[in-house]
Amino acid sequence: MSLAASRSVPVRRARMSRRQLGRIGRYVLVLLVALAFLVPLLITLISSFKSPRELQTVLSLPSGIYTRNYIDAWHRIGRGVFNSVAITVPSVVLSVLVGACAAFPLSHVRIPYGRAIYFLLLAGMLVPYQVVQIPLFLIVRSLGLYNTLTGLSLVHVAYGVPFCTFFMRNFFGSVPRSMFEAAQLDGCRPAGYFFRILLPASVSGLTALAIVQSRAVWNDLFFGLTITSNPTTNPAPVALYTLIGGMEVDQGPIMAATVISILPMMIAFLIFQKAFIRGLLGGSGK
Amino acid sequence: MAWLPKWRHNVSYALFLLVPVVLYLGAYIYPLADTIRLSGFSWDGMSPDETWVGWDNYVQILQEPRILHALANNMKWLVYYLVAPTLVGLGLALLLDADLKGSYIFRTIFFVPFTITTVAVAATWRWIYDPNIGLLTETLRAIGLRGWTYNWLGDPTINTYAIMGASLWAWSGFTFLIYFAGLRNLPTDVIEAARIDGASPWLILTRIKLPLLLPSTIVIIGVAGVDSMRVFDIVWAMTQGGPYNSSSVLAIEMYQTSFARFDLGAGAAVAVLLLAVAAVLVMPYIYYLSGRIEDVRE
Repeated sequence: MSLAASRSVPVRRARMSRRQLGRIGRYVLVLLVALAFLVPLLITLISSFKSPRELQTVLSLPSGIYTRNYIDAWHRIGRGVFNSVAITVPSVVLSVLVGACAAFPLSHVRIPYGRAIYFLLLAGMLVPYQVVQIPLFLIVRSLGLYNTLTGLSLVHVAYGVPFCTFFMRNFFGSVPRSMFEAAQLDGCRPAGYFFRILLPASVSGLTALAIVQSRAVWNDLFFGLTITSNPTTNPAPVALYTLIGGMEVDQGPIMAATVISILPMMIAFLIFQKAFIRGLLGGSGK
Repeated sequence: MAWLPKWRHNVSYALFLLVPVVLYLGAYIYPLADTIRLSGFSWDGMSPDETWVGWDNYVQILQEPRILHALANNMKWLVYYLVAPTLVGLGLALLLDADLKGSYIFRTIFFVPFTITTVAVAATWRWIYDPNIGLLTETLRAIGLRGWTYNWLGDPTINTYAIMGASLWAWSGFTFLIYFAGLRNLPTDVIEAARIDGASPWLILTRIKLPLLLPSTIVIIGVAGVDSMRVFDIVWAMTQGGPYNSSSVLAIEMYQTSFARFDLGAGAAVAVLLLAVAAVLVMPYIYYLSGRIEDVRE
């Protein structure tokens, strides 16, 4: 861009200014779109500080910070937030490990039916979860895990298998193969190579996957509705859903609860932004 | 005995696959088979008896207007997913591509809604769409467009589109990012050469950038196809498929049939219908993926 611009400067001054105009126009457009993207978030944040009376006029600012909303909201979904943490942390750690386990043989060696197994695992990404809902519910119930955090965590690990395998296989494909060959020559066994060399060398990929997977688990409503049925086990999205679907609509606490449920993922995203983005792009033709 | 180490290694590789494959069988294969089996029975979910009814469940659901309406809505969602987020994401990526000042901040702003849980997206947009005191209605009134105000989520003719608006806000961050990364990976020398040769920006876009972005587009289209069949969370959290099933989709019908009306056989039949439609739609994507698998390094 700058190269082309500097070449055309002495030649055509008029066109240059038109290009500058275009640049300003583009800037204004980006600003407007960014504003449009921000408005829903801002309106939620502002509304969460409003008293019931102030909530009747949406186009106004709150006179002060009405903390009752947040106290109310925390009573309603605080437990859900803790449940979500208790579900997300173990299931993401296990998902990533299971995905890496599956991806290692599939990416490094020729095993019988390796390609068929990989295909089958990939096909799982294309199954709408609703198709397996009824049997899943029955399986979890017969295992005695219905309405438990363990049950919901396990379900997330199981349904994370296709994506995690796909992701880690892509990642392992970028690890230099010479490393594996050298380890083999030194007499290193597969398990030794996997745990002592491959995993430590793949920390960036594992982190990226962990963050993408955290988003999927943290944000899930569907499995939460299927596997849990009361406030002691409901994850945050289900608790928030119960709140907004209730009979008496208390907009202030709802907005505060929305902010609370958004924050953990948003903070995690802002901290791990790079890994998050790399993780999302893991499967997209890089 | 030279074969022994080799054989031992094969066993240990198989052990690596054991847990994932068992989980997969338990989470996908067995439940899929069971859903298909269940769709041939009449069952309320409690009683020990399942009655074999053959194709009756399929005959029944394909005659129910609410199921057909939900299927039609899924098709609307498919068209929406293929077109709207793809174009918005591409547009945003192209806007930011020329290294605007503050590009990093804009990138974050466009992407943040994608990190928000769907229920929170629904809560936010239900508030925006409130027919009496919502932001949308109030804003339209304030600028004198009172005639344009609707009961956004209550009016059966428009509520599906209103939900799509909320979904677009949340989902565009994803398509934007895929395209943004795709643009970053384009060969700059080719584009530079074309520019020096006097190619117009439009020509560069349509003849060079868009064709080279095909891999990104295929990823987005593939995900869109699956997600349009899978759509549940946002509709359920915004309208529960109502009023009068107007905004319903197959996933919601399946849920309602099985868990509200306790007709698990018919619910399973809806699920199989959903799977069949999804399978047809995502075949091209599987075909593409299979091409990419050819470059396996073995």
